[in-house]
Amino acid sequence: MPRLPTSLLRKARAIDPLLPRLLGVCRELRAAQNELRWLREYADKIARGRSGKAHRTLLRGMVENRASGKPLQYIVGTEYFGDLEIKCRPGVLIPRQETAASVTHLTHLLRSAQGLPDELRVLDLCTGTGCIPLLFKHEFSDAPHPVRLRLLGIDLSQEALDLAKQNLERLQEPDVDDESSVINFLQADVLKESWDEQTVERPCIQAALNFSRQPQFWDVLISNPPYISPSGYWTTTTRSVRGFEPKLALVPPASEGATDTDQGDTFYPRLLTIASECEAKIILLEVADMKQALRVANLARRLNTCTGIEIWRDQPDQKSGTEHQDGFPVIGTGNARSVLCWRGPGAAWLGKEDELNVMGAATDMPLSLQPQFTYPFVESSEDSRSSYLEDRTMHNHRPRGAYKLFEAGRQLVSQDSKKK
Amino acid sequence: MTSTTTPWICRGCLVRLARRPARHHVRFLTQTAAPESMPPALVARARAIAADHKQLTDKLSQGFDARAAKRVGEFSSILHALQKWDQANESVAELTSLIHDPTTDAELRELAADDLEASRTALADASQSLTTSLVPVHPFAHLPCLIEIRPGAGGSEAAIFAGDLLRMYQAFCNRNHVRNTLLKYENTNGTQEGGVPLSEAILEVASDGAYGIFRCEAGVHRVQRVPVTETKGRTHTSAASVLVLPSVEERSLGEEDVEDPESDYYIDPKEVKTEIMRARGAGGQHVNTTESAVRLTHLPTSISVSMQDSRSQPKNKEKAWRLLRSRLAQLRREKREEDMTAMRRSVVGVAKMGRGDKVRTYNWGQQRVTDHRSGTTVHDLDDVMAGGQTLDKVMESVRGWLMEKDVEALLAEESLTKK
Ligand SMILES: C[S@@+](CC[C@H](N)C(=O)[O-])C[C@H]1O[C@@H](n2cnc3c(N)ncnc32)[C@H](O)[C@@H]1O
Repeated sequence: MPRLPTSLLRKARAIDPLLPRLLGVCRELRAAQNELRWLREYADKIARGRSGKAHRTLLRGMVENRASGKPLQYIVGTEYFGDLEIKCRPGVLIPRQETAASVTHLTHLLRSAQGLPDELRVLDLCTGTGCIPLLFKHEFSDAPHPVRLRLLGIDLSQEALDLAKQNLERLQEPDVDDESSVINFLQADVLKESWDEQTVERPCIQAALNFSRQPQFWDVLISNPPYISPSGYWTTTTRSVRGFEPKLALVPPASEGATDTDQGDTFYPRLLTIASECEAKIILLEVADMKQALRVANLARRLNTCTGIEIWRDQPDQKSGTEHQDGFPVIGTGNARSVLCWRGPGAAWLGKEDELNVMGAATDMPLSLQPQFTYPFVESSEDSRSSYLEDRTMHNHRPRGAYKLFEAGRQLVSQDSKKK
Repeated sequence: MTSTTTPWICRGCLVRLARRPARHHVRFLTQTAAPESMPPALVARARAIAADHKQLTDKLSQGFDARAAKRVGEFSSILHALQKWDQANESVAELTSLIHDPTTDAELRELAADDLEASRTALADASQSLTTSLVPVHPFAHLPCLIEIRPGAGGSEAAIFAGDLLRMYQAFCNRNHVRNTLLKYENTNGTQEGGVPLSEAILEVASDGAYGIFRCEAGVHRVQRVPVTETKGRTHTSAASVLVLPSVEERSLGEEDVEDPESDYYIDPKEVKTEIMRARGAGGQHVNTTESAVRLTHLPTSISVSMQDSRSQPKNKEKAWRLLRSRLAQLRREKREEDMTAMRRSVVGVAKMGRGDKVRTYNWGQQRVTDHRSGTTVHDLDDVMAGGQTLDKVMESVRGWLMEKDVEALLAEESLTKK
């Protein structure tokens, strides 16, 4: 990193003796001034009633902490995610504004959609602080047509789940009777296949869903998974990210024979498979950059289960000229940030019906021959929706094994409780 | 204030502030005639309206007509004021003739003289209300407002004075129980401590009617004092500028106004460029920046506002939109007013009042404050700076002056239409 000019440091010192310490991490005077103000406000809040000296010591300590690279969000304990103030804590990734922008944009598209099911189900894999389902619910709250929301956040990390539950509690509006939505958080390993050995802390998704009596089928799948390759970790992340945020949240695990790029992409094939299994109509996956976006979009195209795929940039709500990469529409301004896929009624929900944009057999059919997406009600089934994909897609193995796992899980738990 | 339970709304306070009987208002009349006399053109106007009123009520008695009903409603305050004024005039005339009548005995004459005093005051008040009822209310007077304060010429002393002005208005609001919030505060070191040079502050006075109260504060405020930083004891002259904008919080304006392309506050979102400023580089998981600044640029006018006070980017965006709407509305209004004044000025030289003009001087050495528009000087400078009643007095005098200008303009228009 280039050294800061002495004149800038001198200028900063003249304004406030604490400022130069923050310039190292903030790089710009404006940013440093803002951070100092926020730290000061936070110090004011927690030092209320204490002496001026205690306040100064506190503030100086916080500035030193920040100067060492510790993220401001960990020091003051929260970060804004859209309109929501989300609790943050070392050990769990700080939510990013780019994620909030994509989720907000998706929600706004869906909010005014016609023909949504009575209960819209949203699955967020790798949920971290729980910020995505919480924001989805918040942004959906003033939808013109009342729709029940069922949201589920899944993460491997117990620390993340604890924090997500705290955030849920914190943001629950007390006077709203929450008939209209349910949010749950669940522990599971996204990368684990249903035939792998299952444990209580690391069940696969299907087992976890079964075990906690969550539905098998979901309408929307969102994920901001770890997506940074080992080399990217050392070259593109900032010192503050490397030094203070959990690597588990950033870099997928290594596996034998995988290249650096493959490792960065580890989650996407799995996420797309899960999306098929739970019959998601809309899939939103965050990515690192345009290269990864194109790899993910091409993978989705090859799998041939989606009728539309597009790439969103950091601000998908900002109009830009029409742009295509590898035949995929690119929306918005900024860096490439996520890949959106849809199929079945998802197209109508997103207002994409007219844009029969690609890819695969379903769209080659005249509209009249395409499957009608209705959900016949089957009383005996725990989950009343039958599958429109069932009879025509590549995956014809329904994970029946999951029921066995469910039983296994029960036994594990009962053994556990006996031990205690 | 009466029994308002929510202490910060306090519409009543503002109404009371605006309506407080102000003797200064009458001053302009002294230039031409006795205090109780009205300019004949204004009286004629009132009478014409009264005649219209009669016609309209006749029409209404024959069948309902919504438009006629509305205008009757608008005219009724003028009619009422005119009746009061006629009555007061009559009793003054009666008493005067009684006093001048040689047959009146001494005791009665004394009594009449006593009464005359009171009747004259009543007439002055009646003239005042008649004038007020005739002068059109400023179209934005009912809105909340934004007070923007910036240092002008004079270096850090100007910046310190800008801070003093901000605290003066805050204290004024607090004393009158009017809700106010700092929308933007930037001093050179990012804190809100007193005495620290201020680079820009925007105070939002969120109560309805605030614009009507504060619009008289717009202009250049000059300070003459020995700055704290001055070692040789010399008096410096510096200045700070105050800009007062009607504010459109969605609440007071109603959604439809912001959406209505006819409204001054309407902005076509397609004409606004939004820039979200953030750290350079890869973004996403790679960085955990706190950058939340938002800049909006209105492309047709290239007016641009930026906000970075809050850690929440949506909040910054919302504030920036509000500010942009206010700035643009002000610009549009100024443009319209310019056209109007150009017309008026051809008849009467109405002093223009805007951001460029020196409106008031605060002199520490003499402990005085002089407003250059109303010509009012007060001596309790400390009370003014503390937002006390002396400030009320100064502001009132300016509102009175503003009304004089409005009346002059009205009369000018009257004589124009006669030609
Ligand atoms: C990039 S963070 C995203 C957090 C959150 N959704 C957000 O946007 O701020 C990735 C998350 O995935 C979780 N994670 C990592 N490996 C996982 C796995 N195999 N299964 C489930 N979650 C995993 C991490 O604990 C971390 O919370």
